[in-house]
Amino acid sequence: MQDTAQRVTQLAAWLATTDIGLLELRTPHGTLRLGRQGDDIVELPTEEEEDETESVNVKASSVGVFLHSHPLATAPLTRIGQRVEAGQVIGLLQIGPLLLPVNAPQAGIVDARHVESGIAVGYGAPLIDLHPL
Amino acid sequence: MIEILSSAALATVQDLGRTGSLRWGVGTSGAMDNLALAAGNLLLGNELGAAAIEVPVFPFKVRFAEDCAFALTGADCAARLDDQPLLPWWVHQARAGQVLTLGLPRGGAQRGSRAMLCVAGGIDVPEVLGSRSTQLRGAFGGHEGRALRRGDVLRAAGATQPCRTGFGLVPPALALPLQRDGMPAVRVLPAAEYLAFEPESRRAFWSADWKITPQSDRYGYRLEGEALRPIAPMELRSHGIVPGVIQVPHSGQPIVQMRDAQPSGGYPKFGTVIEADMWRLGQAPIGSRVRFIETTWDEALAALDEVRGWLDKVARVVALHRGAPGGLFTRPERTAPKA
Repeated sequence: MQDTAQRVTQLAAWLATTDIGLLELRTPHGTLRLGRQGDDIVELPTEEEEDETESVNVKASSVGVFLHSHPLATAPLTRIGQRVEAGQVIGLLQIGPLLLPVNAPQAGIVDARHVESGIAVGYGAPLIDLHPL
Repeated sequence: MIEILSSAALATVQDLGRTGSLRWGVGTSGAMDNLALAAGNLLLGNELGAAAIEVPVFPFKVRFAEDCAFALTGADCAARLDDQPLLPWWVHQARAGQVLTLGLPRGGAQRGSRAMLCVAGGIDVPEVLGSRSTQLRGAFGGHEGRALRRGDVLRAAGATQPCRTGFGLVPPALALPLQRDGMPAVRVLPAAEYLAFEPESRRAFWSADWKITPQSDRYGYRLEGEALRPIAPMELRSHGIVPGVIQVPHSGQPIVQMRDAQPSGGYPKFGTVIEADMWRLGQAPIGSRVRFIETTWDEALAALDEVRGWLDKVARVVALHRGAPGGLFTRPERTAPKA
């Protein structure tokens, strides 16, 4: 990991040829975040929690297919305007036969959904906005 | 400890079955939906064939006397843990004192009929003749050889061990669908007396749908449809039969032998539901209709490979997810932002 700094250029070049929007590399020695800005790959700050915007952005914790409802159900897990509690399952990510929960990080009102059900998303893709309570 | 709170008619402890005992006249038993049992166990990191509770009548209630991870598979029963709705085909964490309630199966025409409640480490009952399944006819195995009653207390062998919870599976009914003309279907191998039935009956068997009558249970499903007529009356000596065998008694209305079937019978055998599709029939509710699809020995083996392939895929991905710190595909939890 020590030589990661020297590899950033190489990683950025590799990333530029893909359709990946964000690369986050976490190791015991630190975190590297590379993101796309226009056609360029740039290093992003590792802390973004200080964002004081109104809504909480719930992002994909994994690559997967985002599902609004459980495959056996017709009703979505949440609707726009619905109040959800911290930890509540507000969406699902399907990876092959596996279903992972998208949990609400805190109590809030569902403001917006960024991705249609059944669409494949990448790691870190914004899925749902919550208006915190 | 898990205490049964409802009268729980016909709920039984089941594993993958007491195979290898037919030679002693002991039936197979085991979960009617063996795929739901195996998948539930995989979600919990149990052995594939660990014992679980099969629930065919609702509502069903249990209280967890201690913290315990559990998985719900099989029929989607609008489950609740205290007041919290639970996702189906999912592994959950119960805290001591919490009550799990399984309601009526839902899902319209696609609904199942039996829920499996799998628990961490499996239900700890003694093994009899190599299985923990309840042998109702012989009154042994499972919990005291009988269906569960209110007040029964069962032990989850792995209740105290930490277990990753909060994830689930796409149910096999969606991953491995099988329908004919929009109706649930199972594949059938023609059996020894198949050709002794009238050609018109043989045609009708494959082209008509068959209703599962209320006289259907873990022993056998009595079906209703156009009567199957033999070319000439048949009298057979009793012979060995296995779950899946479709017998035709004198009425012409077929009976499919299910997991608690007795090991011998004397009715003519029209066909056999293939092993790979028994879980589908095991979930078919009373009053629903099924279709039969004629198949071959090679196709039956390929179907079994397909089921095993699905279970292998589930086992791989679940083991990776359970084994990885923070979960296979999820990054470590961020600390909650300060309020």
